[in-house]
Amino acid sequence: MTHPSLAVQDLTHDFGDRRALDGVSFEVRPGRLTGFVGANGAGKTTTMRAIVGVLAPDAGKVTFGGEPMTLGARRRIGYMPEERGLYPKMKVAEQLVYLGRVLGVPRATAQARAASLLETLGLSDRADDLLHTLSLGNQQRVQVAAALIHEPDLLILDEPFSGLDPIAMDTMAAHLRGRADAGVPVLFSSHQLDMVERLCDDLVLIHEGRVVAAGDARALREERAGRRFRVAVDGSPGWAPDLPGMTLVEAGRQGTLVDLDDAADPQALLAAAQAVGPVTHYSRVLPSLSDLFAEVVR
Amino acid sequence: MTASRGASRTDLIRLVAGREIAVKIRDKGFLASTLVFVAVIVIAIVVPTLIEGDTPEYTVASTADARPVAETAAAIGADGGLGLPEAAITVIDAEDPAAAVADPDVDAALSLDPDGAVVVTAREGVPGALEELVATASAAASAQAVAAEAGLSADQVAALTTPTPPRVDLLEPKEEQPVPPELVVVIFGFMFYFTVLTFGVAIAQSVVEEKSSRVVEILVAAVPIRWLLAGKVLGNAVMALGQVVLIVGAGLLGARAMGQGEIVSQVLVVSGWFLAFFVLGFLMLACLWAVAGSLASRIEELQSTTLYMQIAVMVPFFTAIFLQTESPARIALSYFPLTAPLLMPARVATGDAAAWEPWVAMGVVALTALALVAIGARLYAGSVLNTSSRTKLGGAWAAGGRA
Repeated sequence: MTHPSLAVQDLTHDFGDRRALDGVSFEVRPGRLTGFVGANGAGKTTTMRAIVGVLAPDAGKVTFGGEPMTLGARRRIGYMPEERGLYPKMKVAEQLVYLGRVLGVPRATAQARAASLLETLGLSDRADDLLHTLSLGNQQRVQVAAALIHEPDLLILDEPFSGLDPIAMDTMAAHLRGRADAGVPVLFSSHQLDMVERLCDDLVLIHEGRVVAAGDARALREERAGRRFRVAVDGSPGWAPDLPGMTLVEAGRQGTLVDLDDAADPQALLAAAQAVGPVTHYSRVLPSLSDLFAEVVR
Repeated sequence: MTASRGASRTDLIRLVAGREIAVKIRDKGFLASTLVFVAVIVIAIVVPTLIEGDTPEYTVASTADARPVAETAAAIGADGGLGLPEAAITVIDAEDPAAAVADPDVDAALSLDPDGAVVVTAREGVPGALEELVATASAAASAQAVAAEAGLSADQVAALTTPTPPRVDLLEPKEEQPVPPELVVVIFGFMFYFTVLTFGVAIAQSVVEEKSSRVVEILVAAVPIRWLLAGKVLGNAVMALGQVVLIVGAGLLGARAMGQGEIVSQVLVVSGWFLAFFVLGFLMLACLWAVAGSLASRIEELQSTTLYMQIAVMVPFFTAIFLQTESPARIALSYFPLTAPLLMPARVATGDAAAWEPWVAMGVVALTALALVAIGARLYAGSVLNTSSRTKLGGAWAAGGRA
């Protein structure tokens, strides 16, 4: 089965006289984990709410596989709202089954899926406990299960990693990866930039209601990479090149970091290093996601 | 992809309603209040029957000279006529009144003082019924003595002491009713007041719970807001009606068990109108209760957002209680949508409404219900997703138009 992709086109929305979204457009491709990054109040949650139909944007549209988001399409979304939403006084398994049935899953199937999801998330023994008796981290896992109970064709997750311990984070990451590998487009927002950097195939960076960068994560970083190179020479940790157009940034055990001006030739740097000793590392330095973020937000 | 993906409207509404019911049925507070209510109704029916069935019994000690008075009192008590209380009086002989009442089984002792006046001796007090009977007997004895002295015949004496009561001719006799209709109105009024308030608040709470826990975002992403509202209202309406039927049923069964078949048939006749108006009246307000819930963002705000709803339930209740006699105000209010659900069946119960009147009032209430459901649905749609702060009515109305 081929999976369609989600397209957000020109979403614009005002809250009172504050413009929350200003022509937001991007695509979430099937089989790709897409990280949605932006400062607090940048418009991530508003965009996600518009995608799932909880908020009607003033302008713009959302399509899935080229079709507008009808009720039928919305029912195929696994959605995890930013502020966690489940019934505190309902039993864990029972509410998963209820939500599954609301989303069109027959009762028996929903029961089997709830059991298997809770098993995967390590919550089988809490199935019959009231939700509010679980720790916040465990409630969050139930929330994940709720988003997956109907085997959605599209996942929209607002801050799925917040409040999780490192182990739960890894479980969650593996889960998202698994869904993406199965061909499902996955969009998730997060403030944990290292996690996003490690996990995501695609990125959407949003700032003050505008998308400032979107696309393949690696390509974005390469695009914004300057002419900074790292070179490491075995046995000479403090080596510094003495070549025109090259400025030393730092030299140490991590190797030597050099900024090249436009005229300088990176190959000259490599040749100079090789003349000193065996080169163990040579690369163009890509900006980290935090660098990228800081740059576009500036 | 399974065929059931696009679950139908009825399925979804039923599912949402089912959850409301399941939650309610397991709510200990709800179960407790229902049980208490059923118990109160059964007790209210059974206890008076038990008390009524018991004629009080007294033991009266009498000196020989007071004996005729004591026996007359016993005779009047056994008869229970002339508006006098009924009592079974056992007369025993005694020499000394004070010594006789020392016996705890003896309620009072009768004797005559040197002037021939009756003296009642008792320990702490004389039971009201007994005192009344003795007084009547004593008066009859005096009258008899005076009449005898005046030389009246036995018949004349009898005519004097036991006068023939007046005959009552009714031109438009009202049907004999074992329970005063006013009481039926009060009971139904209170029960409806209680139920509408309980379930109205339950709807509001359920809405605000979904709002504050944000479940509503997940639900609204997958279910049209109005279906959600419909399921919520229907679930609670079913429970509310169920509770009322249970309480009325328990009361009727209790009455039947106590051999009060007349009460059963009298209540059954009026309860039909009460129940029909109850269902309509409940549905009329239910969506507005949901709105009261959706205007709040936290459970603490319910107190203020449900205030007007509480008034909308309280006012009709007190109107129905206080307007028990037919008046232009009562007639007018029995057609006013808010008060009609209680006042119109009340007028039927007291026999003041013509046969066509409840149908007209029902039409008025039904039309109002339709309008209020539409208004309520729009306000609900416009406010249920605003989870950050209390929503103003105007804002909800505008937002509901877009939703």
